[in-house]
Amino acid sequence: MNLKPIVTIVFMILFSLNNAYSQTSMPNINIKTLEGKTINSKTTYNKKGLTVYSFWATWCVPCINELDDIHNEIQKWDKANVKIIAISTDDSRTKRRIRPLVNGKKWDFKIFLDENQSLKRALNIDAIPHTIVTKGNKIIYRRIGYKPGEENYLYDFIINNSVAKN
Amino acid sequence: MNKKTILILFVFLYNTSSYSQLFKDTTASFNSFSAYYLDDSKTGDFNENNRFRSNNYLNIKSNIDKNWNLELQVESYVPNSLLNYSPNFKETNLSTFNIAYNKNNLNISIGNFYEQFGSGMTLRSWEDKNLGINNSIRGLNTKYRINDEFNITALIGQQKKGFKYSKGYILGFDSEFDFSKITNGSTLLMGLSYVGRNDQNTISDFYSEMTNLFSGRIDYSSNSFYSNIEIVDKSKNPISVFGSLSNTFIKKGSSLLLNSGFFNKGFGIDFTFRRLENMSLFSEREAYGNPYNESIVNYLPALTKQHDYSLANLYVYSAQPNVSFQTNDLMKVGEIGMQIDLYYFFEKNTFIGGKFGTNVSINGAVWNNLDGNFDFDNQNYDTDLFGFGQKYFSEISLEIRKKWSSKFDNIFLFINQYYNSRFIEEKVGEVKSNVLVLENTYKLNDKKSLRLELQHLSTKDDNKNWSAYAIEFNLNSAFSIYLSDLYNYQNPKEEKKIHYYNFGGSYSKGINRFTINYGRQRGGLVCTGGICRYVPESSGLSFSISSSLF
Repeated sequence: MNLKPIVTIVFMILFSLNNAYSQTSMPNINIKTLEGKTINSKTTYNKKGLTVYSFWATWCVPCINELDDIHNEIQKWDKANVKIIAISTDDSRTKRRIRPLVNGKKWDFKIFLDENQSLKRALNIDAIPHTIVTKGNKIIYRRIGYKPGEENYLYDFIINNSVAKN
Repeated sequence: MNKKTILILFVFLYNTSSYSQLFKDTTASFNSFSAYYLDDSKTGDFNENNRFRSNNYLNIKSNIDKNWNLELQVESYVPNSLLNYSPNFKETNLSTFNIAYNKNNLNISIGNFYEQFGSGMTLRSWEDKNLGINNSIRGLNTKYRINDEFNITALIGQQKKGFKYSKGYILGFDSEFDFSKITNGSTLLMGLSYVGRNDQNTISDFYSEMTNLFSGRIDYSSNSFYSNIEIVDKSKNPISVFGSLSNTFIKKGSSLLLNSGFFNKGFGIDFTFRRLENMSLFSEREAYGNPYNESIVNYLPALTKQHDYSLANLYVYSAQPNVSFQTNDLMKVGEIGMQIDLYYFFEKNTFIGGKFGTNVSINGAVWNNLDGNFDFDNQNYDTDLFGFGQKYFSEISLEIRKKWSSKFDNIFLFINQYYNSRFIEEKVGEVKSNVLVLENTYKLNDKKSLRLELQHLSTKDDNKNWSAYAIEFNLNSAFSIYLSDLYNYQNPKEEKKIHYYNFGGSYSKGINRFTINYGRQRGGLVCTGGICRYVPESSGLSFSISSSLF
């Protein structure tokens, strides 16, 4: 197969995309509550402030480390007018572990299930942990991966961008 | 419409409409996984045709207006795909294309789509680039939702394999009712599904080209308790005997999944029982047993704990949903077993909890062959509903997570495993092993941290003992470097005492991530995300780019 036309087309697309850059918002995707009810991802954000979406799974050690580290200082986070949502990407292999784990750890985050990774795919998330911060419905921050201590950067970012400060 | 026309049309639409602000949101992401394979004095020379291999994915999504979404993915495997990927992934081409209309409660999608019914036992199409899985269905998918209480999905299409599509089609229907309004504070959901697979590749006088799956499920949840059940009935289908479809060995299939749990603040327990009999379904019957997991219609993962540590993944159970008659003492018709999970949090400022509290979790799983009467000579069987046959696998694990101070924490993991290689891999022997893992994380300051992972696997069977370690140094929020090694130090063959060392680093900033790795990969059965496949050993330099262009 001659690659030239395809490569040309891809570059044309890439080039033309510069014309239409705009801020990205949370997509309109059905996810589920822990009880299995369908809910639209667009309706989950914090209407009054910032929202942290943390994409995790029960088998992902760094994801759990991040959520544990936030949970350990949850009183500090609670004061920052931020809603923390942990989106589980566990599929049917491991999703049964979510409720016992979340309760066993006493996490207070809002948990949603993205079982077939529709939201993950819509947001072009390739690997977890992956953290997204939105102001209203607009995405203002994204990060791939988690290293110990990064929750402090995230906290500072939240404080610097919180609605109350603006 | 051929693929090139679609691409040109997309570019044309895009360039004309972007000026008129028709496209409101556009996102694109690019992923690239490349490797340069090297000869290795321990694992052997690289004997394939191209040492440099690269998998590349460009995905573009666009909201044309409030109700219309467009998505396309171009993939390039040049000059070849990475080792272990299906030969159907070759050269550069349009991989998926989708246009969707979304308004109020209606969603119509034309092109490639991903879908799952219930827990996926009847249908799951999804993408996992690392595993080389993209079994999206190309066709029409329609969803309608009434009063937030009734969801209905109907779909038809052909399944993707590499850049090609299966012959024949898949037909699906799913409905879900929410009865929570009449259950006073608790949630009650009921679902019914149908999946039909038409296979035009193997038309025969002995069986129908259509295979039908009917499924029902009930899901109940209250404040501290949940329970669900899912059953599937699969119509008659020929069994694959030594690689070819039998005209006489034709059997039905079924599955039963029961799950229940109880939880409270600080405590959670979950129990799962599953029975699978002759349950795998491929969009083309001949794809049965293919090593690339191509043409899978339904998802039947192993229900065991998914571990994140390398030695805990040496002897991983893979689900046994199929009928396989190898010899008169190696006959499998499915699996039956259970899994239990327990999580407990020891409160802060208690003896075990200490200053920060202690998390403890226990997992246990046991999986067996079905019991029944198996007749190897006449290629037939019948099974007992709740009979446990030959044991395939069992595992019990204990995990303790302990934070000692704001700077230092530990994860301790102990696993006791039994792995029946003869039945799971149809090889020889069995393996009884114990695995110990200790992970230590030390935060040097807000920016720097050090992680040390120590692992040991002890067994008197197979290749005897292994040890492993990993050191990771996070220099700041962007840079990280690591060194790891897996060593089969007790392997009975001196030349097989190989260090599977790896050295590498990563740089991540926002949504961009670059990694580089130099080292040697272990071969054998490698399982990720409930999917297992055999991979050969390899050595080389690999690098990846994951980036969002905007």
